[in-house]
Amino acid sequence: MALIELRDVSKVYGFGEASTLALDEVDLTITKGEFIAVMGPSGSGKTTLLNVIGLLDRPTHGSYILGKKPVSQLRVRQRSKLRRDRIGFVFQSYNLIQRLNVLENVALPLAYRGMTPVRRWRAASDMLERVGLRDREYFLPRHLSSGQAQRVAVARALINKPSIIIADEPTGNLDSFDSKVVMELFADIHRQGNTILLVTHNPELTRYANRVIYMYDGSIVGDEKTAIGSLARGARRIYFNRHKRTPEDITAGVSALMHEVPGKEVTSAPKRRRRAKRKTRRSKSATR
Amino acid sequence: MFSGNFKAAVSSLRASKWRSLLTMMGIIIGITLVVTIVSLGEGLKRQVTGQINQLGSDVLTVRSGKLVSRDKKGQVQSVNILSLFDSSTLTAKDVAALRAVRSAESVTPMAFVTSTVSSSSGELNNAYVLGTSPTLPDLLHQQIAYGSFFTAGSNQKFAVIGPNIAHKLYGALNPVAHTINISGQSYIISGVLKESPGGLLSVGQTDFNSAVFIPFEHAANLTGGSVNIVQILLKSKAGDTGATIRDARRVLLANHKDREDFSVLKQEELLDVVNSVVNRLTGFVSAIAAISLLVGGIGIMSIMLASVSERTREIGIRKAIGASNRQILNQFLVEGLVLTLSGGLVGVIISLLIFVILRLYTDLNPAITPAIMISAVLVAVVVGVIFSIAPALKAARKDPIQALRGD
Repeated sequence: MALIELRDVSKVYGFGEASTLALDEVDLTITKGEFIAVMGPSGSGKTTLLNVIGLLDRPTHGSYILGKKPVSQLRVRQRSKLRRDRIGFVFQSYNLIQRLNVLENVALPLAYRGMTPVRRWRAASDMLERVGLRDREYFLPRHLSSGQAQRVAVARALINKPSIIIADEPTGNLDSFDSKVVMELFADIHRQGNTILLVTHNPELTRYANRVIYMYDGSIVGDEKTAIGSLARGARRIYFNRHKRTPEDITAGVSALMHEVPGKEVTSAPKRRRRAKRKTRRSKSATR
Repeated sequence: MFSGNFKAAVSSLRASKWRSLLTMMGIIIGITLVVTIVSLGEGLKRQVTGQINQLGSDVLTVRSGKLVSRDKKGQVQSVNILSLFDSSTLTAKDVAALRAVRSAESVTPMAFVTSTVSSSSGELNNAYVLGTSPTLPDLLHQQIAYGSFFTAGSNQKFAVIGPNIAHKLYGALNPVAHTINISGQSYIISGVLKESPGGLLSVGQTDFNSAVFIPFEHAANLTGGSVNIVQILLKSKAGDTGATIRDARRVLLANHKDREDFSVLKQEELLDVVNSVVNRLTGFVSAIAAISLLVGGIGIMSIMLASVSERTREIGIRKAIGASNRQILNQFLVEGLVLTLSGGLVGVIISLLIFVILRLYTDLNPAITPAIMISAVLVAVVVGVIFSIAPALKAARKDPIQALRGD
């Protein structure tokens, strides 16, 4: 099912001779549950594409359909409401509010929905548990490492249970270890059925995605599935949900990576309950 | 959402304490001034009203000048305050003529003289000397602490002094039977008044506690013939003020050659005049004090605009995560409100301190009521809303993409 459809979407900045064509008649369809990496050189229109999809900006031409509803000509108030309810943003520079602590930063989107303080702090605390930062709830952003700050940003993006998560170079300011932690987090989120749109300059990170889009001069010049994306849907489900037994399986994932940080415990994948075998006529007769 | 905005506002003010305090100073000073001035006016009104009410409803006041305008039914339409400052048109002849009015039980003139008053142990320049009749204490229900008020028909020069004069000239000594010198003339002190609630604009525009009372007939001796009669109090017989008013007007018009350059006022009309004077005076001075509120509000707008510019990126982040324009507007409005509300509360507290100091160390009697304090705080809130709207609108209208770039 198509979650996002862009048809002939163009974005022009400026006017007359000083105009810039940031997006040039882009056609793009994104289905629910896809993890799309967007790559391209600087100035190719990646961020503009994300801004249009994330309803931060309005296309100059073309149509944008989000969940079967046209949204390209919505008013500011309607766009901010949709953004609040259906889209989660993760930025390269984390964009946490420095005067609020971690818990308040994560709970902020819920405040804009009108949730009471106690309920939103509880929800924020649960979300921080999910990203492994519950013990940093009352820290200010300046007291966090870059990786921790980006995980807080991811938690904030997820708090409203959005349909789409838009990440604009989330690992751009992180070292390799923190980049891996954040990407594993995205992978976990993707496994749970979320749709992720990620801009990156690092080709290594595309292995987490199931589709890669290449942009150049405002147009999409390449659109291909990755190795994971090439798997059949059923096989992909098995790959994601297989019972982890090997040491490599145990050390994979965010929780296992936390094991490398002193004082953190490994949380192993839960054991699957085996379904009881159905007794068929043959097995019944065999037992007699 | 309001409580969240309130907490965010408080934390952002705490983050820059000195800036917030300096921004609030304009509001603090303005509110302090306005509350102090209004409470002084209120205290003055209460003082004066108290003394006027002491007169009783059967006492009429005759004053110089046309203080009120009346309609055809004789009801007061407006008050002409400037007449209070004209020179007196009342004369001793008017007093004598009013004494002949049958419907008036007593006629008590009050002639006002400024003189030098001295005794063997001290001297007071520019003391208030009131020439009046022996009926004054009964009319005003004014009690005598020591001795007695002078009586009618006495040829001796007797004087009665207020408690402040007694204290300044004689200290702890009982001044009764002592001699006091008024503009070179010797008077024997026959009595000392008890503490009087009278003040400015009250009966006789004099603080009785700081006045010297002499017989009306001797007042002319101090000024070389002419007396400045501030007012004449008439007590009606059997409470029939209507008849007394008619007779008084008739007699005075005859004396003044049909020129109505005087006013005959009932008690409630006198109260209206006094209240009108105090209200206008208080309002005028409060308006001047309110200029500092205006300056304070402009200061708040200036600081809030700077704050919006500094927090452009934060506004972009909030919009990106789902804040609507209205929510951003509310956030900054609440911040301005918290600033001015805090300033208003501090201003009211400082006013209360000033109130205590004035009551303890001066003769002034300000009266701060809960209504004045609540009104002051509400004014501070309104100032906060008015001067925060422009910065809040500027914040709300920021484009999120430009804001995220930090522009």
